[in-house]
This record gives sequence, C-alpha cells and structure tokens, in this order.
Amino acid sequence: MDVKGKNFTRFLERQQAHNDQHDARAEAKQHSKGKLTAWERLNILFDEDTFEEVDAFVTADKTDTGFGKVQQAFGDGVIIGHGLIRGRLTFAYAQDFTVMGGSLGSVHAAKIMKIQDMALKMGAPMVGLIDSGGARIQEGVASLAGYAGIFYRNVQSSGVIPQISVIMGPAAGGAVYSPSITDFVFMTDQTSYMFVTGPNVVKEVLNEDVSLNDLGGAGVHSKKSGVAHMVFPDEENTLMGVRQILAYLPSNNMENSPEMDLSADETADVEERLREIVPDDPNKPYDVKDVIRLLVDKRSFYEIAENYAQNVVIGFGRMDGKVIGIVANQPKVLAGTLDINSSNKGARFIRFCDAFNIPLLILEDVPGFLPGVDQEHSGIIRHGAKMLYAFADATVPRITVILRKSYGGAYCVMNSKNLGGDFNFAWPTAEIAVMGPEGAVAILFRKELEASEDPAAMKKELAAKYRNEIANPYVAEERGFIDEVIDPAETRLKLIRAFEALETKHVDNPARKHGNIPL
Amino acid sequence: MKIKSLLIANRGEIAIRIIKTTRKMGIRSYVIKTAKEPNAWYLEEADEIIDFSEKYDEEIPEFLDIERIIKSAKKHKVDAIHPGYGFLAENPVFARRCEEEKITFIGPSHDAIYRMGHKTIAKELAREHGIPLLGGSPGAVRDADEARKIANKVGYPVILKAAAGGGGRGMRVVEKEKDIERMFSLATNEAAKAFNNPDVFLERFVREPRHIEFQILGDQHGNVVHLGERECSVQRKHQKLLEESPSPALDNAMRKKMGEAAINIAKSVNYYSAGTVEFLLDVDNSFSFMEMNTRIQVEHPVTEMVTGIDLIEQMILIAEGKKLPFSQKDIKINGWAIEWRINAEDVQSGFSPSLGTIEKISWPESENVRVDTGVRDGSVITPYYDSMIAKLIVHGETREKAMQQSSIAIRKFWIKGPKTTLAFCRAVLQNSNFRKGNFNTSFLSKELKIHYQNEPDDALLAAFFATYDYAREINENEEKPLHTENGKSITPWVLKKRLR
Amino acid sequence: MARAAKKKQSTKLIALSSTNKAYEFKKPLEKRIKYQGKEVDIKLHEDPKGFSYIVWKNKKYLLDVIEKKQNRYTIMVNGVWHSFTVETPVSLKRKRYLEQQVDASAAVSIEAPMPGKIVDILVEVGGEVKEGEPIIILEAMKMQNEITSHITGIVQSISVKKGESVMKDDVLIEIKKG
Repeated sequence: MDVKGKNFTRFLERQQAHNDQHDARAEAKQHSKGKLTAWERLNILFDEDTFEEVDAFVTADKTDTGFGKVQQAFGDGVIIGHGLIRGRLTFAYAQDFTVMGGSLGSVHAAKIMKIQDMALKMGAPMVGLIDSGGARIQEGVASLAGYAGIFYRNVQSSGVIPQISVIMGPAAGGAVYSPSITDFVFMTDQTSYMFVTGPNVVKEVLNEDVSLNDLGGAGVHSKKSGVAHMVFPDEENTLMGVRQILAYLPSNNMENSPEMDLSADETADVEERLREIVPDDPNKPYDVKDVIRLLVDKRSFYEIAENYAQNVVIGFGRMDGKVIGIVANQPKVLAGTLDINSSNKGARFIRFCDAFNIPLLILEDVPGFLPGVDQEHSGIIRHGAKMLYAFADATVPRITVILRKSYGGAYCVMNSKNLGGDFNFAWPTAEIAVMGPEGAVAILFRKELEASEDPAAMKKELAAKYRNEIANPYVAEERGFIDEVIDPAETRLKLIRAFEALETKHVDNPARKHGNIPL
Repeated sequence: MKIKSLLIANRGEIAIRIIKTTRKMGIRSYVIKTAKEPNAWYLEEADEIIDFSEKYDEEIPEFLDIERIIKSAKKHKVDAIHPGYGFLAENPVFARRCEEEKITFIGPSHDAIYRMGHKTIAKELAREHGIPLLGGSPGAVRDADEARKIANKVGYPVILKAAAGGGGRGMRVVEKEKDIERMFSLATNEAAKAFNNPDVFLERFVREPRHIEFQILGDQHGNVVHLGERECSVQRKHQKLLEESPSPALDNAMRKKMGEAAINIAKSVNYYSAGTVEFLLDVDNSFSFMEMNTRIQVEHPVTEMVTGIDLIEQMILIAEGKKLPFSQKDIKINGWAIEWRINAEDVQSGFSPSLGTIEKISWPESENVRVDTGVRDGSVITPYYDSMIAKLIVHGETREKAMQQSSIAIRKFWIKGPKTTLAFCRAVLQNSNFRKGNFNTSFLSKELKIHYQNEPDDALLAAFFATYDYAREINENEEKPLHTENGKSITPWVLKKRLR
Repeated sequence: MARAAKKKQSTKLIALSSTNKAYEFKKPLEKRIKYQGKEVDIKLHEDPKGFSYIVWKNKKYLLDVIEKKQNRYTIMVNGVWHSFTVETPVSLKRKRYLEQQVDASAAVSIEAPMPGKIVDILVEVGGEVKEGEPIIILEAMKMQNEITSHITGIVQSISVKKGESVMKDDVLIEIKKG
C-alpha cells in the first residue's frame, strides 16, 4: 500500500480529525466539576492498553427536526468497545458528557445497542458508564425508541451475562431504567444522580423544594431506595470497585466464576474465634459480618448494598478460592428480622447467584418477620414471599448455617431443608422453634400463667425450660431437619467440604416458560 | 487453721494475681464463671470453676450475689473466700455472712469494714485518736441549710462526699455559697443512685493536694506495721492513673509521722489483714486523714516491688491466725516502683471507654518489669466491668531509673485492638514537672493539657502506612491471578442442566 | 486469550488527615518517602506476634490499621489514632471542589429506624462522634439495637431521654459535620 497515496492520506486525515475533536476546554470543565472524561474512565476501568474502540466515527443524522441542530461529532457522545478487565474480555460503553451533555439520540442509542448485542453474543460482561442529560429532545421519538431498544437488550441479557451500570453523572427520566434492570448499580457520591422526574418537575407538580442530592443522590439510592448497590467517594474508587466485583462473576451463565489461588497467610480452617462471636444471651446483638469474615478466605468478602436494608447482609466471598454468595441475617439491625426491604434485597441477590451458578451460603439468625401495621399494609406477605420463592427456585448449591434464632415462618424462608436446602447446619447456640420461648409459653400456658401468683417468674422458668427442651438444635437434628450440629470453630472446614460435595449438583425442575415470582 | 482451698469472689487480673499466690502456697483455688465473659483467662488459671453462667439474675450481678457465693462456697466446702477489690471486698454484710458460715474471710473483721466504710464513723475514730482531719461536718449533712452553715464555718471551697462512697462518685466540689444548694442535691442524688445511701458529708476542700496512702498490715494478735506509702496523685476525676512507691514528696521524718498515724487508725478498729490509709498532703506538708480502704488495692504491686513482701500471702497467713513474721524495723523500702494503669480508654476523646477485642497484646519481659493482667490475645473488653486491661509495674534503683525503665517498657508494651491509655503514660513521662516529682492531684487538669503523647513523625508514618496499605491492597487484588479456565471446563453432567 | 493482563500501575497517593493536612507519597509501595528534602527508606516489619512496626530514627513505631472503609483509614501509631482518606491527585482535586459546594454548617439528624424505647444514650451534647460509632441503644422487640452515627462530627442536640419511647423516624440526635 502506498502510504503517501490518497487512500491512506485520507485515513490519516480522519484519524487527525478524530483527534482534533478532543476539546481541552470541555475536558477542563468536566474536571472542574470533580468528574473525569469518558476516556479517562475507560482507562481506569480496563487493564492498561487493552481497550479497543468500536464505531469511533459514527455521527448523528444531519436532519434538523426544527428543534435545533444536532451536534455533529464523531462517536455521537458515547464511546463503545471492548477490552480486558483483569485479563477477561469485557464490553463497555461510556457516555461522554462533553458532547451534547451525553444526551441519547438515535445514533448514540444504536451504538449502545450494538455493543450490548456483541456482549451477549460473546458471552462477556457488559459495563455501562452513564453520564447523560437524558433523551436528546431534538430527536424526539427516535431517542425514546433508542431507550426502549437498550432496555430490551438489557432484559435479553439478564441472567445470561453480568451487566453493571455505573452512574457517574446524571441519569434522568427513562435513562434510569436501564441501570435498574442491570445486575449491579454503582454510583459516585455527590456527583451522580438518578431520578425519574427531576427537582424542577417535583417543584412544579407538588410545590416541594428538593435538591438534586436529596432527590436522587448516591446517599438516597444506597440507603433509602436500594436502587444503588455500591457507592464510592470518587470516580477512581468507583471504577476500581467495578473491577473488583467482576473478579467474582463468571463471564456468562454457562461458566463458573473465576477461581483464585489462596495466599500463604490464608484463613485458618479451624477458627476458635468463631466460638466467641455469638453471645449466649439471645437478646444480645452481634455483627454477623464478623462471622462472615472469619468463614471466607481472608479479605475476600465483598459486601453488596451495605447501607440498604441492613438487617440482611449480602455479598460475595471466596471459600478455598471458589466464589460463593452469602445471605445473612444481621442481628445488629432490627434484631435481624426480615422486613419488606430486606426481603427484596435478599431475593434479588439470590436470583442473581442462581442465574450465574454461584453457590449460596445462608447464615441464619432470624427472630421472625418484622411486625407492624406499616409492614402488613405495605405487603410484607408478598415481598417476603419473594425471598422464599428465590430460595426454593434456586438450583445452585445452597447451604444454611443456623447461628442462633430460627423461628416460625422466617425459619422456613431462610433456605430450610424442605425448601430444598442442600445442607442445613446449626451451631450449638441455635434455637429452632415455631416461635420464641417467651411467646410460646405465653400461649401454651396461658391459663396456668393467669392463675399463677408470680406470672413473671413462672413465665421465665417455663421459657427457660422451653428453650432447653424444645428450642434447641438437637431436636431438629434428631428429626433430620438439621443435617448436623457443628462446632462453630470448624464451620469453615465443614462448609468447604459441603460445597465440594455439591459441585456437581443438578436439579430437574419441571419444564416451563418461567415461574411466576410474586413481584 | 490452715487454709487448703480458697474461693476468689472476683475476676480479671486480681483473680489471676491471687491464684499466683495460692499456687505458691499449695492452696486449691476456685473461681466463678459468669455468662458475661465465659472464656476469660482467669478461669483457666484456677484449679476449679464454679459456674454461675447457666442461671443469671439480671437484678444482682454475679460477683455481688452474697447468698449465691456463700452457698457455692459451702457446697464446694472451701475454707476461705478472697474478695479481691471492688465488688464485695468492703461489704461488711458479706464478711459477716462468711463468719457466720464458718468460712474464713480473707480480710479484716466485718466490724472494721463497717466502721471504716462509714466515713462519718471513721472520722470520729480518727478524731478520738488525734489524727489530723480536714474541717467539716461531724457526720452526714442533714440538708442544704446545714451544709451552708458548716461550709461558711470551714470556708470555701468545700467538698461534698457520699458517706458510703469511693472512686469519685457522689463527690461535688462547691466553690461558692450560691452553688451549695444545687450541689447538695446533685451529690445526694448521685450517692443514692450509686451506693443506695444518700448520706453525704462535707469537708474543707484542699485545692491542690497530693494523694498519699499508706499500706498497712496487721495480724489478729494486735501487731500492725506499715509498708511505706504510695503516691497516687495522678488522677483523673478521682480515678487513679498511676501510682508510685515511695512518694517523691515524703522524707523519712514525714514518712514516720504519717506511718504512725496510719497505724494508729488501724489499731483503733483492731484492724487485721491488709489495708490502706489515705491522706491528703497539703502544700505546707500538713496532712489529713481521708479514709481507710479495708481491702487489697489495685496498686498493691508497687508496695510489693519495693518491700519484697507478697501482700496476698500475708493476707492469707493473717486470716489463718498467724503472727506477722516481721516488725516495723524489718521493713525496708528498696528502690522505686511505678505502676502504670493501662485502661481501654480513648485518651483522644476524654478517656471515654473503648470496647472491643484485644487482638494481640505483648509486653517486655524483664526482671524489673511486672505485668498484672487478666487479658490475653482474643480477650473481649466488655461494658460490664471496669476498663483496666493491665497494670505495668516497673522497678528501678531510683525514681529516675524507674522512669527511664518505664519509658522503655511502655514503648514495648503493644496492644492491638481497643484504644488504651499507653499514649497517656508516655505523655506523663515526657512532662518535666512529673519527672521532677513536682505534681499533685491537679496534674491532669492544670499541668498535662494534652493527654497523649505524639512523636513528631507519628502522623507522617501513619499517613504513609495508610497509603501503603491502600496501594498494597489494590496491588494484591490486581496481581492475584484469576483462573477462568477452571470455570469453563464444567462437566457435561452439570452443564447440560444449566439451561431449563 | 493472547493479550496478557497488565496490572494497574500504582501512582502517587495522598493521605489527607482529618485536620485537612495532606501527606504526599510518590510510590508508597516502594516504601520510600521524602523527608526533609531527602528520599528515605521506610523499614516496615512485622514481628512474630503479628504487630506491624516501622523502625524510624532508631525507634520502633507500632502501627495498625484500626479501621478501613474504601479509602477511609484509621491508623494507630504508638497508641494514638489518626484518620485519613487516601486520595489520588485527581480525587483530591475533586474533594477540594466538592468541599466548596457543600454547606458545612448543616447538621445531620439521626432518626429512629424503628419504634422502641431508648435504653441508653452513649454520647453527650458537644461530644465528638465518629462514623459507625454507636450513639444510642434502642430497645425494640426485647432486643437492644445499637443506633450508629453515619457521619463524623459533633453532637449538636439530643432530642430524646433515657427510657423514652420513640416512633419510627423520630429524630434522636443531630450531629454537626466536622
């Protein structure tokens, strides 16, 4: 080829034009807001020098709809492509706020759909870096059609490849639904927002003043709405967080998660400290994360949605290098009761793990469902059923360890043996019964208690007796509802062996299009 | 009567400390296990464990449950009970119950405990025996009006103290007459709450006194000696933070004078066993009797270090009815000892308690260093008991040498887990007035403004360590290879079922 | 896959103290720091009991990571605690920018997460609280729940008393960020 020839010169000119598009002023503006540019973000997200851009020269249509011209820029405000994250193929798109505020027009949308299609075809994770003012108004219905097309692909990919959305600026209106379909939503504190209707509309319709942050900031979505799973203080940490979570996920639903070598200073298989964490007093709270950290490989616990519905703890961990998903009641918060939010949080995570072949470990210490008018009226029955459904429907290996309380309906829900749990272990501190001792004796001995001279003392005594004779793990063990009561110190060893035994588990579920989970 | 078995009605370091002596003397030791710390170290050190953890009464804490302890002692047929300090150590009812049940109480008679425990009676005794006292109310103050009258007589400032108190609770200093009413009600309320007894008495408040106490040993045959003094002026809100023996404030003449006063007080109640007589020493070297503690003190090791006498052993021998093996002239004070109390407290925010697990603890082993502690790796600091983790006692030929050794020992005393007062100890050692021996009870409030010691490069090294750990973790995450191939080679058995 | 994974290069990191003092380290992993204009090697050791220490000017400095959450660190040196956030040059710039944006005087209120009875209040007005520090013990359903602060700051007001019953979302304590 003649490198001086017309063809090649033109090629070089186009390259130059693309480079010239780099607008230092726009970049500086983005920086001044504490944000990085789309390219900078991709460079942090991907292994060095591995990102390959696709469709760099695609440009928006020139047609003017009468509402102003669309800026003609190479790429149309979104970078799409593929690269490696810790050596593994990953597809991504990154919206570029410096081009028309990252607004989504038909070409912009088509590019995202293109990369979504590729990710699905190749069976590799899809990461979206979102920083967009929303639909490109100038393009009207074409941009809305674009959104719908993206949503459709999000849904088609759901459960096939892991999808992660990283909100790094505004995501408003229809744009929020793509992230909400994806598996994990990351947000950067203080510079990212998600809402269906913005503060201006809220002001107009309801006459309420609310700031961007209070309406849809990272704090709101990670604590109150549960929309965001992970929040980081800055963009670099956010992107590093994405790199980290991907190490726990398989590339697609046919693979297993990548394994990892154990380092030399690995977690001890027998850990006596585990005997000390759960207090004997059933009313004393403790932090179940202390238990988790001692069970999984050192420093391998990756908690998800840490700030939302904290009465249930979810996250990934590794045992003997292999990834597991953990669902644990948190006695420190709301006494570990299940409520609407925690059921939703748990159920979604269980579904994810099941879809991607990640075995489940359930750590149970649950006194029951949260009582109250508010909960009942808001549908704890339906929401609680999600968790139950998700467990019963999951075909991945599932192991329960009952740490302490396991009462009533909550016992059934938390992956009990008859819900298809593969192994149910219990610690000697476990109390398994239809209800707590105090409540049980109040019903069983109502008349006797009424007649008693000192009902309080009698109740205490009866409760102690009940605890001793009924609400212990040995009754359940003898009847086979618990496979084994185990020494807390040996739990890790037991779990590693149990997961090993379950590696080739497969279940025949009846043929069907899909079940009907109570949504 | 020879004691063959001993129940220690206490926990933590003092239980272990007592066991050390019982082991030496061939006495079988019994301790009480509670649900609050079922894995505590002292349980392992003892020969026998009496389990109180199964059934616990929320109303009466285990170590205060007189009848349960007595019942257990009888059931296990123990000869004697050592109460340690705190809990039931100065409870005359407990001592009497022991006497009634023919269990030897390692301590003074219940009568001595009662009389010395009741501050107004104790003061009356001191007055009768010509021991100097601070001016104040002869007994409990009836009401605020009476308090005002007495205060006007002795002059402000005055201090209101709970008659049944100790340890700083129920104490209120009144600077001006207009405050007396409010302070009186505060003090009585606090006393009622803390000690179940609202009685308070009033005395002149010495603004910047030294707190000096004398260790007493007496046998049941009327012999009483003192083992020198302990300097306890470094306090925070009446809580001692470090003690030393001897005191840099006393010369031999003063020591003799105060020691004799202490012995006289003890003799006034026919005191036997170990006890401590507390004095306030004013700037003009006048001293006044404060109170007598009828138990072994937390800070007893400094006395043991300088006299070479095992106080717990002596208490047991005295309880057996033995005569003191030495007289006053045999007691020699050898060198200097300082005890540093290492508490789980956050000195950076007003000594607030710092709970949690002691992940690791280590200290320098050396001839002139003694560490009394009830914790080890993995021990949990619970909110149920005091915050003391350990006592570091350092001995030197002179005060200067003891401080020098302390400096080294504190630097080598490492605790991973809760915040501790070690940083405070270093700050004290850096203070020139402390080094000169020139301090009093206002040391913390006036002299040592910053309660922890920072080396100039502390923050820099901490900053470096933070960035290092951050970078290391990212690096470690990035470097660990991910084995994706394993994830792809799945047996057809499983793979076939992956799709429904 | 033919292309080999390249790891992320470690870059310059800055530890920003709670008093806003910035300590810059070019390559922390190489354990070299700039001290009084000179490059000095840091000797970082771990003793057999698992304590980390640095030998600095012939003295041992005991160090420990007390707490870390994302890029927020609490480090203990010789028994004294220091708090930092670890920043890159970019994130530091961002932080400085954002600091100008937020209203520093705003107090954050901590609300009751559930109805219950106040068993204990662990802080005082004017006292300092750290993020994650328990501030109130709330008894609900016979369980004692620790209510923790989600920010670091100074307690501005306490709206409840010991023994008082509260409803869900009642304001318990207001904390001024600092």
